[in-house]
Amino acid sequence: MTIIQAIILGVLFCFCRMGILYTWPKNIPLFGALLIGIVLGDVPQAMIIGAAIQAIYMGVIQPGGNIPTDQVLATFIAVPIALQSNLEPAVAVTLAVPVGLLGVLLDYIRRTVNAAWIHMADSYAEKGNTNGIMRAHFLYPTLALIGIYIIPVAIAIYLGPNAVNAFMEIVPDWIMTGLQVAGGILPALGFAITISVIGKGNVIPYFLFGFFLFQYASQVNTIAFALFGMFLAFLHITFTKNKTEEAGAL
Amino acid sequence: MEQKEKLLTKKDIRRSWMYWLGTCELSNSFERLQTLAFAACLAPIFKKLYKDDEELKLALKRHLTFFNTEGIWGSLIHGIVIAMEEERARGEDISDEMITGLKTGFMGPLAGIGDTVDWGTIRPIVIGLFLPLASAGSWIAGLGPFVIVSLITSSISYYLWHLGYRVGRKSILQVLKDGRINQFITASSVLGMFMMGILSSQYVKISLKPEIVVNNETTTIQSYVDQILPGLLPVTAVFIMYYLIRYRKVKYTNILLGVLAISLLGALIGLF
Repeated sequence: MTIIQAIILGVLFCFCRMGILYTWPKNIPLFGALLIGIVLGDVPQAMIIGAAIQAIYMGVIQPGGNIPTDQVLATFIAVPIALQSNLEPAVAVTLAVPVGLLGVLLDYIRRTVNAAWIHMADSYAEKGNTNGIMRAHFLYPTLALIGIYIIPVAIAIYLGPNAVNAFMEIVPDWIMTGLQVAGGILPALGFAITISVIGKGNVIPYFLFGFFLFQYASQVNTIAFALFGMFLAFLHITFTKNKTEEAGAL
Repeated sequence: MEQKEKLLTKKDIRRSWMYWLGTCELSNSFERLQTLAFAACLAPIFKKLYKDDEELKLALKRHLTFFNTEGIWGSLIHGIVIAMEEERARGEDISDEMITGLKTGFMGPLAGIGDTVDWGTIRPIVIGLFLPLASAGSWIAGLGPFVIVSLITSSISYYLWHLGYRVGRKSILQVLKDGRINQFITASSVLGMFMMGILSSQYVKISLKPEIVVNNETTTIQSYVDQILPGLLPVTAVFIMYYLIRYRKVKYTNILLGVLAISLLGALIGLF
């Protein structure tokens, strides 16, 4: 890992995490892993590790902009370290879990700092200064990210492998096992969040149906399941047609 | 009725949409969330509409009050607000309260729809479809979701933004109460739920390690659980967390810390 690579990764992390291009999936482990793989010259291995990390964040969405855990930071710290130190994907996941939590802290800092720009915008509005308001939205939050995101993350990526290797030697086995177990349970949180956002009571049985269907028919591929799901959705609206029309979206 | 003169061009509308889609979360702050993004992305429009300085100041201040929605489906609000501001600039009787009321009235429901359709359904399903490719080391899995999800959600947003502008505030209720939109949302939550089930089944993993001796044979407790109902522990975990979030309003971070604590403790005593 050269300093240049660490800085490039810091900038790419910032791009993925800064909240531009709204729904575009740049803030997921799969996309981050692709970028990291390109920078560090090992795309296939980066994707394999990225897939393991993606698995624990499958259902994670951010209702109201609050992230439960930062999958982007987890990816940008864990994947380069795993690549440099030839770690197994499962071990990379154990790194990702605590780092993801730390990422929430970074997000807190960012959104606290951002409160400053809206106060500037208030005073620009008093003067009718539209350019000032646009600078307060487009420019200042972006500049602040050099200090909040790029520098700390570049340093962490640069120093990471040594620190992690030193840490791995002293940490007891049960902690590693415990973190791996957590990596297995955590996807549940993402799915639980998603269900609580999209699930009105009468569609929850479809969750259970999908869950147990997969337990008994896990060799069927996901695309086939998606088609099956569309068929179910079609049946559901066909048989509840009058009800949904009356209910209204609001 | 005479044809009303348009003060804004198609380009103005499209440019503000691009600003919004590109940066609606950029200046997100704990204090007023997407407020600054809303005001800044529409600022060029206000500047064009209100030649009078006092009116411009009023417009800017009006849109620096609280705003937060799901950016894609919330686009409908922006379209309507632009139409209302245009009417106001033309001298129609449109008050501050009407505009602010419309924004605050619709940002919640549209956020609900957007979270369901975009974040809860489209994104996880598409990512789920590409995950096996990623596990096989393919770069396509990095790019695939990026291209597909971006295209779908941007198109929805573009359509709703322009729809809002075209129909204006009078028709918004009709649009939202239209049976087809409802059916679409219900259908996507059914599909989303079903796929969440499939994906949880695939990715949530909990198994118990302790062994017991039955009829002189050593087996794990896990194999007994599997005989009763495969996946019993993972599905229980999902629903315990669902219960905590939905009915106990527990913070995500606390659940996450709880999972870590239980996992570490379980590993220490040899449960997992």
